Formats: sequence, C-alpha cells, structure tokens
Amino acid sequence: MNLRTARLLTGAYHLLMLFFVTWPGTLPFAKAEPLILGLPFSMAWIAAWISGSVIVLALLDQVEKRFRVEDGSND
Amino acid sequence: MEQWIVVTIIISAYLALTLTIGLMAGRKQTSGVTGYVAADRSFGLLVMYFVTGASVFSAFAFLGGPGWAYSRGAAAFYILAYGALGMAPFYWIGPRIASLGRRHNYVTQAQLITGRFPSRNLSGLIALLSLIAFVPYVTLQMRGAGIVIEAVTDGNVPIWLGSAVSYGIVITYVLSAGAMAVGWTNTFQGIFMVVIAWALGLYLPHALYGGIGEMFTQIIAERPELLTGPGLATNGEPWSWGAYSTFILVSAVGLMMWPHLFMKAFTAKDDDTIRRTVILFPTFQLFLIPVFLIGFSGVLFPGSPPSSDFILPFMILETNLPAVIVGLFCAGALSASMSTGDALLHASASVVVEDGIQQFVDLEERTQRRLMQALVLFTGAVAYVFAQDPDSSLVLLLASAYGIIAQFAPPVVAALYWKRATTSGVITGLLAGTATAFFFWQNPELKPFDMHEGIVGLLVHVPVLIGVSLATPAQSEEHLDHFFG
Repeated sequence: MNLRTARLLTGAYHLLMLFFVTWPGTLPFAKAEPLILGLPFSMAWIAAWISGSVIVLALLDQVEKRFRVEDGSND
Repeated sequence: MEQWIVVTIIISAYLALTLTIGLMAGRKQTSGVTGYVAADRSFGLLVMYFVTGASVFSAFAFLGGPGWAYSRGAAAFYILAYGALGMAPFYWIGPRIASLGRRHNYVTQAQLITGRFPSRNLSGLIALLSLIAFVPYVTLQMRGAGIVIEAVTDGNVPIWLGSAVSYGIVITYVLSAGAMAVGWTNTFQGIFMVVIAWALGLYLPHALYGGIGEMFTQIIAERPELLTGPGLATNGEPWSWGAYSTFILVSAVGLMMWPHLFMKAFTAKDDDTIRRTVILFPTFQLFLIPVFLIGFSGVLFPGSPPSSDFILPFMILETNLPAVIVGLFCAGALSASMSTGDALLHASASVVVEDGIQQFVDLEERTQRRLMQALVLFTGAVAYVFAQDPDSSLVLLLASAYGIIAQFAPPVVAALYWKRATTSGVITGLLAGTATAFFFWQNPELKPFDMHEGIVGLLVHVPVLIGVSLATPAQSEEHLDHFFG
C-alpha cells in the first residue's frame, strides 16, 4: 500500500470513529443491551473502536516505516 | 493492629519509594534548561508510554470517573471515547514538533508557536492562559490526594495533612530533578495504578454481584435510565446529546494541547518513540473500563458516600477488604493524583518562566532554572490554599479549563501546516476564541444546543484566525524557510 492511501485510511477510520461515538452516529448503538463480555453495549461499542484504533495505527506505522527507510529521511 | 495504622504504614512506604525514585532519576541529568524542562530529550518508549498515560489519568479519572459512572451512568463513557481520538493526530504532529524542537532548541509550546509567529505578547498570553488553566487542575489533584488519605485512615490523617505530605514529596522531587523525576516516578506510578484498577474493577463486581454481566443485568432491571445514552446530568435528569458530543469533541481537541502533555514531545529520544507512544496510548485508555466498573458496583450497593467523588474509597471501606488492600488502593489513587500533579507543577513553572518572564527580561540559564524552582513552590502553595476550601465550583473551573486549552489547537495547527497564517490572525483568533468561551461559561443558558463553551469558542476562533490572516500581509519566504528549514 502506498503512503498516501495508508494515511487517508487512518484519517478516515478516526473520522468514522468520531461520527459513531457522538450524535447522531451513536444513536443506534447507545443502548444497554445486549451485554458484550458482560459490559453494556454502548460501553463495549466505544471500547471496540479504541481497540481498532491501536490496530489501524500499528498498520499505518508499518507502511510509514517502509517509506522512511526507502527515502532515508526521518521526517 | 488497627486498620488505619496498617494503611498509614503502606502509604508511607509507597511515598518513600516514590521520593527515592524521583531523587535518583535526576542524578544523570544536565543542569541546564533543556535538562530541567525536557530531560535532555532522552525518554525511551517505556518512560514515554507511562509518562503520557499517567499524566493523562489524574485524580479526576481515578475518583471522578467512578463518581460519574456511579451517579451519571452512561455519561461517563465520554471520558472513554475522547482519548484515542485526541491522540491519533499526534502520530504526525508529534514528530514534527519534536524535529522543530531539536532544530530551534524549543522546550515549550509557546516557543514553537512564537517561533512561527514572533510576538512577545502572544507568548505572554499563552503563558497566562496556561497558568489560569493549570491552577484549578493542580488544586483538584491535591484535594483528591487529601480526600483519599482522610477517607482510608478514618479521618486520623485530615485532608490538610494528607495533601501537605503527598505534595511536599512531589514538590521535593520536581524541584531537585525536574522532567527526569517526573518521567521515572510516573512510570512507577503508572504501573501501580493500572494494576490496582484492574484488580479492584474485576474483583468488586464478582464479590458483590457474582460477575460483571450479572451486575449490569441487575442495574438494567432496577435503574434502566442510567445505562441509556447519553446518561444523566448532575441533577439526575437525562443529559443532552449536544453536551455529550461536544464534551468528547472539546476534550479530544484539547487533550494534547495541555502544555504538560504537549511538551512531552520535546522529551522523547527520537521520533519513533513518539509514534509508538501514540500507537500504544489507546491501550492505556482501556484502563478506564475497570475504573467505571468500580463506580457501577456502587449503584445497587446499600448506603451512599457523602458525595459521588467519594464512591471509590467508600466501596473499598464498605466491602471489608483487608487493610493491606485498602493501603495499596490508596497508593494507587495517590499515584493517579501525584503523577498528574507533578507534571502540572513542572510544566506551569517552565511555561511561566520561559514564555512569560523570559520574554520581557533577559535571564541567565542558571537564574531561569532557579526561578522555575521558585515557581514550582509558589504554584504548589497557591493550589494548596485553594485545596483546603471545600468549594466544589473548582470542578466547574476544570471543565472550563478545557475550553481555554482547546483554543491552543488552531495556533498550533496553523504554525505547523498553514503557511499563509499571520501573527495578527493568530493573536486575534486566540483572543476571540477565549473571550467567546469565557462568555458562554458565564452565561450557560445562552449556549446553542447545550454545546460545551470551548467548542463555541472554536467556532468563532477558526474563522477569525483565517479571516484576519488573509486580510494581513503574508509572512516573508525568508522567515518561513528559516522556521521550516
């Protein structure tokens, strides 16, 4: 994947996250049931987006690292 | 032996260990300003991760978080939601700030902003606004430490003594060792509070209700309104989506603009350390889950604490845990308070001297460092006086502090990414945004859609910054080349 796509996707993920944890995107998910791993649905919903953020940023880092090595800069 | 004595011994041991780590850490640091403020730019991943995590999670998260879950239910989830959002942009912004810091020898946020927009008044304005936002924040941390110690020692160690001893220690290591001490004590405190929070958060629901799912099933049956988004307002009525959403937004924008967190970018050893800290930060955020579980475990528990902020010590004491566990919990809560308090005291002194005083009077490096140390003492003393006053309006002050801090975001973004921005644009924008936030903080009934005043401030700030910048002459190519290199 090229750098530009990776950055766009990372940005898009976090914008989607913002949309889905605030009004109005969060409305369908702001409910207590069903419980997920014992947690209320709305809480598990946010926790899932946070966990996703770790994965997305780690993947981005893999791509960024490859390009930093290729052009030899650290900026 | 009486329980409170055992608890006091454990707390004393914990405080002694913190002090030792703090004092040891400073021994390898150089004596100049870069040493004191930016730890000689030497922090590796372990220290950066905990410094960032432990500075973000303060007494507010450790005491206020369960308090919100207990009294306001789903409203508390806003605290969970904003961290990852606020940190992600730092993957790019962080290394950029760090590289400009290395090139131009910056150690504070205002130095970076005024490096691009040269103005002594702008620098002084940023220092002043930072200080206004910092004092209530430090006060809350001190009061939090005092409350916890008083509660778990059955009142034998009163608030004034508990906050004096714990912050006496913080001030000692911040004075002697600066950023290096803040870094290493936060690493120790961060590990401590994460372990304690997970242990208690998993233990209490099991001991009291037979499981986490079981606990929530009972809460849904008896208090369904509590878990329906966006939870409850302070008066027990349903909270508004406008307030919930803009609390997330303003906290996400403001999070890394807090000078004590922003300046951490200057302490990192290299850019990869910053990037990995950003990637791993959300894992620290998940530690709010057990913190909320502790609060929720109090909802159906008989009896109630004097105020919702006391729910955590209340649960610990009412469930007859062994004294050793109570002592360890207390140390965990102190960790949360002290690890934020030390970073705040350290940053406020650095900012006031470097960005305020130093701009108007030329000081030698040795004098600067001395002056910073005097200011740590002074800020600590002011906050201590406020902390003795049980006036709860300080909590409101802190919420509005985010409204001020979020106004630092447009100048930072403009400095780094918008070449057409001008000094006049940035100054008028900052003044307009802060004035707007202050106005709506004073007149909450006028806020559109119940929005957080900081967001209303940003809605005025950004257009003013852009408009005035475009109306004033662009900065010279020469200046831009020098700044961006």
